[in-house]
Amino acid sequence: MLRNQLEMLVALQDLDCMLREVEDVKALGFEVPGKVDLEKAREELARQISPPLLSTYERLRARYKRAIVPVKDNKCLGCFMRLPTSLGARGRKDEEVITCEGCGRILYWLD
Amino acid sequence: MERAELALFFREGLFLPDMKARTKEEALEELVDLFVREHLVRNRGIVLEMLHKREALGSTGIGKGVAIPHGRTLAAPDIVIAFGRSRQGIEYDAMDGKPVHLFFLVLAPPQDQSNKYLPVLGKLVEMLSEDENCQKLMQVESFQEFIDVVVGEK
Repeated sequence: MLRNQLEMLVALQDLDCMLREVEDVKALGFEVPGKVDLEKAREELARQISPPLLSTYERLRARYKRAIVPVKDNKCLGCFMRLPTSLGARGRKDEEVITCEGCGRILYWLD
Repeated sequence: MERAELALFFREGLFLPDMKARTKEEALEELVDLFVREHLVRNRGIVLEMLHKREALGSTGIGKGVAIPHGRTLAAPDIVIAFGRSRQGIEYDAMDGKPVHLFFLVLAPPQDQSNKYLPVLGKLVEMLSEDENCQKLMQVESFQEFIDVVVGEK
């Protein structure tokens, strides 16, 4: 269940990155009428994410370009801080949302 | 960004003054194949898919016979630009509905350390908004002549 929520959050983040870039290229003079569809897709996706998780994501997004990041070799790929091994065991259980102790980003484990 | 700096993102192997493509799809493929031939792109399919998705959001044909397809992809290790020219012009669903003669395909990695992607796109748009530059680009015969126009020395 949580795994599914985190996957949707990663997808939401991808959409947010696309929207940000679309905004940037619009400023350069490109016409991007498809932005409306992207925004609709974002709204629909956001509705499926639990409000507390979405709110944490939105708060972090104001600070970081990427608010949810993977963990690789026990390192947060947002700030590259080494994480306690015990955190990995908790994270892989998919029972709670784990955030990085260094930067606060939401973490997910690929393995 | 100066135009001299913009010139650094072009390569002779990515210079195609006589495109064979007749359609938008073929144009994108022909340009991406330049990157593949130069070993600058590892996965042709991923790049084409990314470009198609970008075009679905809105055509990168900015009018006056110019298109600047662009996007970020893991398949590209650095920012690089291919130039292609079609003398007969290609229907590209451009903003002004006119066929495209000048193509600039800009690829960038997802996170370019130098943060040059948007400045590069901006400089290209600025350069190509001048009709005189487009006319010159329609005339260039060699990569060096092309670079001279980009730099603004011709």
